[in-house]
Amino acid sequence: MSWIHPLAPEVLEPADVLGGKAHGLVVLRRLGLPVPQGFVIGTGACRALLRDGRLPDGLDRELSAAVADLEAATGRRLGGPERPLALSVRSGGPVSMPGMMSTILNLGLTAEAADGLAAETGDRRFAVDARRGLLSSFAAATAEPVPDDAVGQLRLAVAAVCASWASARATTYRELHAIPHDLGTAVTVQAMVFGNRDERSGTGVAFSRNPNTGGPVPFGEVLFGGQGDDVVSGRALTRPLHDLAEREPAVWAGLLAALRRVEEHHRDACSLEFTFEAGRLWLLQARRGGFVGAAAARVATDLVDEGLIGRSEALLRVAPEQLRQLRTLRIAGAAEADVLARGLGACPGVAVGRLATTADAAVRMAADGPVVLVRPETSPLDLHGLAAAAGVVTARGGPASHAAVVARAMGKPAVVGTAGLAVDDAAGCVRSGGRTVPEGTRIAIDGTGGEVVIGSPRIAPAAADPHLHRLLQWADEVSGDTSARPAPERLSAAHAVLGRR
Amino acid sequence: MTRAGWPHATGDDLLALHALRCIGFASLSRVADATGLPEPAVESELIDLAVAGLVTRVAGDFGGWGLTEAGRAADAERIADELDAAGTRTVVAAAYDGFLVLNPELLDLCGAWQLRSAAGVVTANDHTDPAYDARVLDRLTDLDRRAEAACAELSAAMLRFRRYRARLTGALARARAGALDEVSDSTGSYHAVWFQLHEDLLTTLGIPR
Repeated sequence: MSWIHPLAPEVLEPADVLGGKAHGLVVLRRLGLPVPQGFVIGTGACRALLRDGRLPDGLDRELSAAVADLEAATGRRLGGPERPLALSVRSGGPVSMPGMMSTILNLGLTAEAADGLAAETGDRRFAVDARRGLLSSFAAATAEPVPDDAVGQLRLAVAAVCASWASARATTYRELHAIPHDLGTAVTVQAMVFGNRDERSGTGVAFSRNPNTGGPVPFGEVLFGGQGDDVVSGRALTRPLHDLAEREPAVWAGLLAALRRVEEHHRDACSLEFTFEAGRLWLLQARRGGFVGAAAARVATDLVDEGLIGRSEALLRVAPEQLRQLRTLRIAGAAEADVLARGLGACPGVAVGRLATTADAAVRMAADGPVVLVRPETSPLDLHGLAAAAGVVTARGGPASHAAVVARAMGKPAVVGTAGLAVDDAAGCVRSGGRTVPEGTRIAIDGTGGEVVIGSPRIAPAAADPHLHRLLQWADEVSGDTSARPAPERLSAAHAVLGRR
Repeated sequence: MTRAGWPHATGDDLLALHALRCIGFASLSRVADATGLPEPAVESELIDLAVAGLVTRVAGDFGGWGLTEAGRAADAERIADELDAAGTRTVVAAAYDGFLVLNPELLDLCGAWQLRSAAGVVTANDHTDPAYDARVLDRLTDLDRRAEAACAELSAAMLRFRRYRARLTGALARARAGALDEVSDSTGSYHAVWFQLHEDLLTTLGIPR
């Protein structure tokens, strides 16, 4: 084997070769955690494709051998009429480029194999859905008809994922983020696990600590009976992670143990993407850290108190750039506030005002005081409402959605991708988590943390955080400078001293 | 490809009505810019449309011209009839497919123009790094070049689409000349015109957003 490596504890290749995603999965395997069986085609194959216009000689042979190993390990056959093996084929470069490259799911579910899956599970609708998932993801990635030959599907899928490295959109992303164009992507191939298999299945994202506050309580969301892309797209209604404790106690216990083990390994906060199928937990991706600002300061100081890192390391864990936004207003104590829904913060700041469900209503109501416009999503037709409103919330869409782009242009707090929020503009109300909130109700939104809160919560600059205050005192002790300066300068001075040691 | 009767020319009344459908509530000058008609001509059309109950004018700070519910319904019907009468559905649908491929990248570029990511923190792009801004503008210029094919097909079929090419090119040229808000922020920015084209394609093809 030279192009392909198993997702196994003994694999020593670095993330340059395996890609960040597969490298993280190997670490999970080393920690003894449950990861679906699979293998990774290293970045070298993609680089060969970029250089020569075709995948390297010998890859086909290695691919056949790797599939045979996977069939033996899972007791399933790719494209087999009984107990078919279904695969996920995912990109994963040395540097994360979220959403820029192709993913193909349920690969290998030929018409015959889908029949086999229906017979095996006794659930034809599930098998039909799974086959449909293959057809749509394959079409999106390859723009070719799906061959009714499972190995042919895999060859085309691997080539398509490698080629997606060079797509115009991915190229633009690398230009903008100064990522070299010659790194190439790895291709991770794993046995599928199905979060939509039955009522004891589901998927979600778990953080070892609260990413909004840094508080030491596991946090996240879970979707019962659904697949991962339903969570990411914001299409489906997710539940707080803690709902797992009651509905699937074994999955919950396994997840808590995994979060603890990964956190202790990295000596840092972490997050895990997971799926559970028929009550059995699988981990699909692990990420280290990623907390910013006051939340990062909280994690760093807590890790010192827990004896996992020292003060110097805590200071180095927080980048001075992260403290520049601390004059931005936040909803203080969001944990105690009456949170109606949560989305993605898309433009920092807090807006408080009366809820309007249409652009026209926002213009009309703005004459009597501030308004927060809440829409399913926005289009140019809502611009007059966005202009009149103090802030905007959308149920759908991500950080690059129309609402997010326009809100930033106007400097207005915005929350987008608010899963579970339904806007009924005909009835003039919004619904979330079983509650109905009529137009005109006073609400507040936090464009950093993504909270949508009922009423007028307490608002404070993020810099008032006591954990941050403590971290900055440590910074002053290291630098020996206790003069009054902005937070980023205090931390930079400490970094400069620590860098010389 | 050319055919008898192509490119199809839209009447001024429907041009004004449909412009309001695509750009939303707007001042007279913005409607004029979107249609490519002189302001007095547009105003005259808008007054006739208002008499027919299809558009309405609101006074005040956030005032301007907008469609009524009846105007929205009338536009949907007339723009669909026009598409069928001109026999241009296939061309517009193909151009829409081409547009959809480019749309996520355009949104990435607008996001990158407004925001920068450093140490995991997203902050406003303060435009003090000319090399970074140049990278964004170079990629936008490249995307604009790739969008040209879809725009040319649309304009060859229906004249009213010609205005988008001119407005996109104009916004890009102004941005390259240093007007920072012409990428994603002003009402005539590349992003604003792009979104109006998106709305136009959806409306023309009768696709719900």
